[in-house]
Amino acid sequence: MDKTNLVIEKLLEHPVTDHVVLSRSRTETHHIRFSNNSVNRENLSKLEEEVNAEVGYEGRTGSYRTNDLSEAGIRHAVNKAYEAAKLLPKDPEYMPPVTESEFAAVRNFTPVFGELADENKYGILENAFKELKKAGLNSAGSLSTNPYKVEVSNNKGVRASHANCYSIFSLTAMTGNSSFKDSHYSKDFSDYDGEAFLANVIRNAGLSKNPAPLEPGKYTVVLSPSAVEELLMMFLWYNLDAKAIDEGRSALSKRAGQRIADEAVHIYSRPDHEKISLFPFCAQDAMPFIDFDMIKDGKLARPWCSRFYAARKGLRPTGRGPANVIFEGTEKSPEKLIAGVENGLYVNSFWYIRLVDLMDGIFTGMTRDGLFRIKDGKLAGSVNNFRFNQSIFDLFRNTAEIGKEKGMLYTSIPTITVRDFNFVSKTEF
Amino acid sequence: MENLSEIANYLKGKKARFADAREHLFREREIHTEDVRVEQITEQNVSGVGIKVLYENGWGYASTSATDMDSLRKAADKALALAKNADRSAAGKVELAAEPRHDAKFATKIKEDPFEVSVGDAVGALLRAGETILKGKDVIKAGSHLIFRNMKKKYANTEGSLIETEVYTVLTRIEATARANGEVKSRHYFPAPMNAGYEYFRGLDFQPNAERIAAEAREHCFAKSCAAGPSTLILDPEHLSLTMHESVGHPTELDRVLGYEESCAGRSFATMDKLNNFRYGSEIVNLVADNTLEGGLASCGYDDEGVECQKWHIVKDGILSGYGVNRELAHKMKMARANGTTRATKYSDVPITRMPNLYLAPGKKPLSKEELIAHTESGIYIEGMGSFSIDQMRLNMQFGGDAFWEIKNGKLAGMLKDVVYNAISYEFWRSCDAIADERSFQRSGFLTCGKGDPMQLAQMTHGASPARFRNIMVRRAK
Repeated sequence: MDKTNLVIEKLLEHPVTDHVVLSRSRTETHHIRFSNNSVNRENLSKLEEEVNAEVGYEGRTGSYRTNDLSEAGIRHAVNKAYEAAKLLPKDPEYMPPVTESEFAAVRNFTPVFGELADENKYGILENAFKELKKAGLNSAGSLSTNPYKVEVSNNKGVRASHANCYSIFSLTAMTGNSSFKDSHYSKDFSDYDGEAFLANVIRNAGLSKNPAPLEPGKYTVVLSPSAVEELLMMFLWYNLDAKAIDEGRSALSKRAGQRIADEAVHIYSRPDHEKISLFPFCAQDAMPFIDFDMIKDGKLARPWCSRFYAARKGLRPTGRGPANVIFEGTEKSPEKLIAGVENGLYVNSFWYIRLVDLMDGIFTGMTRDGLFRIKDGKLAGSVNNFRFNQSIFDLFRNTAEIGKEKGMLYTSIPTITVRDFNFVSKTEF
Repeated sequence: MENLSEIANYLKGKKARFADAREHLFREREIHTEDVRVEQITEQNVSGVGIKVLYENGWGYASTSATDMDSLRKAADKALALAKNADRSAAGKVELAAEPRHDAKFATKIKEDPFEVSVGDAVGALLRAGETILKGKDVIKAGSHLIFRNMKKKYANTEGSLIETEVYTVLTRIEATARANGEVKSRHYFPAPMNAGYEYFRGLDFQPNAERIAAEAREHCFAKSCAAGPSTLILDPEHLSLTMHESVGHPTELDRVLGYEESCAGRSFATMDKLNNFRYGSEIVNLVADNTLEGGLASCGYDDEGVECQKWHIVKDGILSGYGVNRELAHKMKMARANGTTRATKYSDVPITRMPNLYLAPGKKPLSKEELIAHTESGIYIEGMGSFSIDQMRLNMQFGGDAFWEIKNGKLAGMLKDVVYNAISYEFWRSCDAIADERSFQRSGFLTCGKGDPMQLAQMTHGASPARFRNIMVRRAK
């Protein structure tokens, strides 16, 4: 037990109230950003260690976060949280700290990840710069490694701890008038196949060159996993909260029991998914994340809910953001999905997605970093980027094919084919 | 301050071409209410030192939460090692624009420190507003958000500058949601966020605004759907703040123009070859960057690379006239000096080019908001911010709003719903044919402008008088 945890134990031994939760986080980030085929000023190393004190007092809760991890610093945080709580009105949704019996349901896991020397990380980048320059391409992106540890301790005896790591290499390759982006998600880059990754980016960046003019309209689209992820997460974030649904503030409020998607659409969460696993419990209160289906057989299966709301409904809480989001895929490759489209578009990424109409689930956004024409089942050059205004329910209903999942940071999402995707205007590139 | 100078000089002794050290305290109190309960109250107090070094032509940055000399030296060594790694792939010579040596202090003028006032006071004001909102007919939800922020910095560099700054910020917003006529609509009151003390929050008039937004949220549920097609728009200052932020502020950050943001926030259509010759807007459009604006959210005296805050034109008489420029890129513009708009959010963040305070200058001819509407035969008047989206080159933009009214024969003729408009950004500004005068000028702004990788959230003020735009494509949201 290090000094900080000794202080935490000391403060929990004689808690200021019957509700003290001390959560500690430690993230060691090495982040290398690059542009124009060279490392730029966002080339940084940071070690961030913080403690958040949450103190409840007679049905009210205050919190205070500090990176002063001395005894005085943490004690100050506890006192400030306590002072704040005392000044608040009683909260009808107050919840006491997580108990040991609630925490017992946690399924912790121990990810394995290795060290990655600075030399290797810069080596990955220097090789990418060399290959892209050779192909006459420019580049921008970032490479980062982020080992972290979260610990939650409370005066009810809960001691939760989890160490993990995520690493991302994100690369945009540019021609003079187009771009293509791909990202490699990893624990430590030991699974990074530079040759294959760069070959794919270079090939597609070349294909993106000189986008042909095309008018907006309704097209059959093959959406890459990252494109699907961006739209899906926006939809879930705005609409899946159980309280909002019950209070009529979600697009799902008026669709209770209705089919909202093709029956093949299955979206769920598994905290200990073999690839997409970041936290086994909530880093604020140690409540274990659970397995649950969000959309199954084309219908809403289970919304997200807080501890308070779950208790009211007699359910297990999911967190108001689950451990991860998995859209169940198949074994069909992206190429197979593309081969099934006679005339359509392949969307590599979306950008700047925003809600247009909450109750009808309509979102807007742009295509970006690779919009390709599909002709007779093959990619046939790129076209200018489009804006879409698209109902997520129409998208779910018009999902014609589901392909293979790709594991990203928080999600595992397949490539999908969607009919009648609604592009409403174009841009100048 | 001495330890910061010492660390900068330590790096100079290790052959750094340039180095700086910034001690940075970030303190924030945040309150969210839902109906008449406090949903969340949090406070954070995070501080440390960030050290930036230029070795040959490579940059490195390392930070530490400890401020003893041993920890600072370790962070300095790490930053230097990173810079040496970066230098291996350097694209060319890094040249820093000259900046006079400053020995200076800056502080937001405040009367009352928000952190010294009991949280109960602010909570009371927000919950009373919530109570009022919930009394509105068909209102199903009230909400509010409040942020008090304090950023205290000490800065030293190898050129001998010693700068201390302290900024206080206040942001608040209340919201009403109504359900009626098969619709659910929200309406907000968002007074301009300001660099100010608690006295600014105290002076806000929540009660009448709470009543108004509750009534307008309900009225919006009964509004008729807009007609699609080209229309005349009159946009209020808060709405224009978002429009100018996305379609002028971001595309004129020089680091974006030169590809440094390509992988995240994107690039820009406003390339350097267009400087001083590209018609960005009509002749009456003047967009002014001003980090010296009193109470402006980006007004901090000196930026995080030791450059004094300044005022300049981004668009002058409709022509693209300037960019936000850091010390590294100034020479690309043949500028002798950067313009003081490089900032970091926390100690662990690298300072990057951030949007300055940016405002649309009021019209020069006498014209009130009421006269502007009266002189408009038909169109749509839009207040507040709603849906917003723009492509990564900052061309194709689509905006909604918080509330919409039909203009008929020079009068507001009832609310509309489902309004979004779509334009190419420079065509939008070129279509501006009238701007109300300074009597209608209002500020707004943001604390959540995302940029950088890792992402940082920065703050800046915007402002405008209501302005009219012709022939803008309006679409129905559904």
